Formats: sequence, C-alpha cells, structure tokens
Amino acid sequence: MNIVVRRIRGLINHLGKITDTALDRNPAGRNVTVLPGDVFIVSYPKSGNTWTRFLVGNLIYQDEPITFANVESRLPSLYVHPDRKLRKLPRVLKSHDCFDPRYRTVIYIVRDPRDVLVSAYHYAVKLGIVPENWGIEKFVPAMLDGSFESGVLVNPRWGSWHDNVASWLAMKDNRKFLLLRYEDMLDDPERELVKVADFLGLEATPERLARAVGLSSADHMRELEKTQAAEWSLTKNTRPDMAFVRKARAGTWRAELPPQTLADIESAWGPLMRILGYELSTAPPEPDELPVVLQ
Amino acid sequence: MQSSHNSLRRLLGAVAQAGRVLAGRQIAGRGLTVFPDDVFLVSYPRSGNTWTRFLLGNLIDQNDPVRFSNVESRIPEIYFNRDRFLRQLQRPRMLKSHECFQPHYPRVIYIVRDPRDVAVSFYHHNVKARNISDDYPIASFVPRFIAGEFDRKFGSWRDNVLSWTILRKDDPGFLMLRYEDMKRDPVVSLTSMVDFLERCSFRKFDSSAAALQRAIELSSPERMRTFEKQDAGRWILTKGTRKDKPFVRSATSGGWKSQLDRKSVAAIESAWGDLMLSLGYELASTAAAADTLSQRGLPS
Repeated sequence: MNIVVRRIRGLINHLGKITDTALDRNPAGRNVTVLPGDVFIVSYPKSGNTWTRFLVGNLIYQDEPITFANVESRLPSLYVHPDRKLRKLPRVLKSHDCFDPRYRTVIYIVRDPRDVLVSAYHYAVKLGIVPENWGIEKFVPAMLDGSFESGVLVNPRWGSWHDNVASWLAMKDNRKFLLLRYEDMLDDPERELVKVADFLGLEATPERLARAVGLSSADHMRELEKTQAAEWSLTKNTRPDMAFVRKARAGTWRAELPPQTLADIESAWGPLMRILGYELSTAPPEPDELPVVLQ
Repeated sequence: MQSSHNSLRRLLGAVAQAGRVLAGRQIAGRGLTVFPDDVFLVSYPRSGNTWTRFLLGNLIDQNDPVRFSNVESRIPEIYFNRDRFLRQLQRPRMLKSHECFQPHYPRVIYIVRDPRDVAVSFYHHNVKARNISDDYPIASFVPRFIAGEFDRKFGSWRDNVLSWTILRKDDPGFLMLRYEDMKRDPVVSLTSMVDFLERCSFRKFDSSAAALQRAIELSSPERMRTFEKQDAGRWILTKGTRKDKPFVRSATSGGWKSQLDRKSVAAIESAWGDLMLSLGYELASTAAAADTLSQRGLPS
C-alpha cells in the first residue's frame, strides 16, 4: 500500500517537474541570466539576507514599505522566480550561490557560523525537514560533513558555510564588492546601511536611514510575518507555530550549542572564523588586530 | 517589430525547451547531476583539457583508442551533452568542465596553463568559432580576454584558477597540474593522476610504464591532428566552426613570446602577475614584476 502511494506521489512529482520545466517555471537559481547593472545580495542561508533585503528595499523605495508580500517582486530571490519572470523585475537580487564570476556587483553578508547553524536548525524544524528524534547535536555534524540535504536550506551549489564565504572573500577583487557582517548590522544598522548607500549610490539622509531601519526592525518584521506568512514562499506551508523572524540576535549559540558541537564547528572552520573576527571559544583569542578582510 | 521578433524567439525557445524536457534531452551544464564518485577534469578553456581527456581515456580503457568521435562517451564534457545521457554512463564517471569553483564537485583534477599561451590559443579558437574575424588584431583581443569577455560564465582566467586553487589547494580531492609540466614530462604528470585516481578509488586499470607510454603516444598532437581531420565535422566542439583553422593547434608552450606584442604581455602580467608567479610562471615585463612584488605578495 505504502509503495503504491509513494509511486503515485513520485509520478505526480515527476510530472509536475516536467510541466514546470516545459513551461519555464523553474526558479532561475544558478541558470539566472545576469544583466549588466545587476546587484546581488549574497549570503549563506540564515545569515541576514532577508533583513538586508528589507533594509536596502526600504532605502530604495520611498513609496510603500517592504513587506513579505512585496519583497519577492521588489528584491526578488533567484530561487523563487523563473529566469523569464526575473528579467522583468527590479534587478537587486537575492542569491545564496557560491562564487559566480558573472556577478559584477555584490553585497555579501556574513554571520557567525555558530549562530547560522542554530538558526538553520530552527528553520529546518519549522520546515519539517529534520528527522523527529534529531536534536541540534545531530543536525550540526550532518551540516558540517555535507550529508544533510534538503533543497531549501541546503543546496549542493551553495556549498557549506565555509565554501560559500571563502569563495566570495577570495574572489572579491576585480568586482564591486561590499562585505557586511550581520553582527555589525545588529550593532548599528544605520552605520552599515550608509555603507550600502555609498556602495549603490543611494541617497541616505538621516530621515531616510531611520525610516528604513525602523521599517525593517525585527519587531516590525515579526508583526508582518504574523499576517503574511502564508503568502511568502519561504514561510508558506511551514509550521505556523514557529517564527521565521526568530531572535535576530548574535551569540545565541552560547546557550544553544552543546560543547562537543561547538568544538566540531570551530575545528572545521576556525581559521576562517578568526579571519572574520569571530573569536573561538575553544582557543585563546588572537592578538587584538583588525582582520585583513575587514579593513 | 523588435519586440514581436523577441517574443517569437522566446516562444520558439520555450517550445524547444519543452521538447528537450519531454524527450529527456536537457543539456547538463550547470544543471548537471553530480554523483559522489564523480571525477572532474576542470580547466579554463584552451588549457589542455582535451589532451588530458585523450591521455586518461587511453589509459583507463586500453581496448579502444580515444578519438574525437568517441571521446564524448568516454570522458564527456558537460556543456553539449545531455544530463540524461551523462547519468547513464558507467560509474565512476570522469567529466570535463570549465566552471569556476564548484562546491559540489567531489574530486577535481585541475589543469592550469600559462595565461599568455592561453590568450594566444583562445584568440585563434575565437577566430575558428567565427566570434572574431581573421584580421581582428590579437592586441585588441587581449584586453577583452583579461576582462573575461569571452565565455563569461567561466570567468576570467584569474577567476577560474584562483577560485579553485584558493578553495581546494589542500583538499585531498583536488589535484592541480600545469600544462607545461605535462608537456615536459607526461609520464610524471600522468603518474600523479594515476595516484590521485587510486586515492579516489576510481576503477582499476593497467598503469604500468608500458601502459603510460602507450597512452601518451596515442594522445600525441600528430595523432590528434589526424583524428581531427577525420572527425571534425562530427565532434560537438568543432562542428560548425571554420574548417581552415585547426582545434589542435601548436600544442606547445611559450608560443606567446612570438605571438604577443610587448604591450599585451605587460597587460596580462600586470593584471595577473601575482597569481602567475605563485604558479611558477616567470614574468617577462620587469615593470609588471616590480609592481606585483610591491603589492601584497603571493595569494595564500
């Protein structure tokens, strides 16, 4: 019985895929046509990309605020629309891809991978893609060794946190590139948004900055999520009892990661974390020096 | 007029795409299905990838010498072949790619070539492909080559080489070879590829000294030129290109010294000098060398 149901489901799924491709409805992703002048907001998942889209969008658009209902038509994701549709939308695009030489203008957001993994775990539970008996101590090693696959949260073309971040940092020369740390954005969103405004040539009066930051605050986004979660592709059909806009804080890994899990992350990605100024809990702090990539 | 022309073209494109999907004929490219036991031969274009395909193909399956008419079923490239066809190949597969760093390629043999020679070879390749005319000066081509204007999706030579070497240089699943070393001593290079494939638990094949020698002879430029004459009309990479220009060209290193003017050499070296030096390619223009050394040094 079970097998029959699964076969039928598989067939329906397959036919759906064929129709989507035949009608050119597959999200653009890696096959996006890159146009001159495109701006890409790039990050590994769960690193503040949506927040950045709100901030940048609320700075660009003065007519109406960015919401979950309009963000995909104003700062569209490569993983929501097909290429054909994207060509007609504004070209400030969200991407999670590893280095792509065709991207000429890139705002890259990096976040402490310990917080990224905590956030990814909660989002994976919300999505219903984590096996029921899995705690975070099982989830993290599967993310580290690449064995956790989901398509939504993990995609082979996005790489690991390390590959994603390192590939963009390594290749930042010879293109317009702005690196933002999620933690710096939390610390002083106006200051970081000024960097974006300078980078993109946007007008950034104190009023405009304050408006954009206010309209993109975690509290405001939580309010919007309450009424719009069912409309937005990233929250549609996920557990409504769990929030997409979660804590929006830095350092929650301290309370949520077991010591062994923490040690696993730091031993896998420690050198890159240090380069980015993320102090390791399992090793003595480096001399007090600003990391080269952040200068 | 223009817009109705565009709509028609898009419609035809959509119909063709639908047909390819229904018939399972989608070109692999970036949508390629990757298996965990795949081995990729990666390089920037015109860096010796086809020659390497011949060398390894002649070594792995010694019953049937590689030629252009069978290379795509032995060690296929991913840009013209269909994903469904590639999925049906015997595993583990060996595939040719020109992509910049791809996080999901599990094992990679990366071939790098002196970018000055790549520039010369790529120039002739683009003349053959009718992208530029015979009288288009190579001095005009070089700045566009540096900017990565041809085959933009592969990035510039630097994008391609640096992205792989920085991200994977210490990875046990990564082997880098220089085209120049392969030319100078193919036995040594082939041996390191054999060792790498063994570490990857690739399928067993005869790797005796005699087998290596045979593979090298079966992959000589002379033989490849003969095969090209016979197969060029059918091989996917030469089909439809100019017949008066060969795909297998000089197959040497250092041709840039006579083909590139001083300004072109200086332009390449000042753009990529640091990376070239770290790969062991000596710089010819002293100005570029001084510039490079005074910059932040070699990439780490």
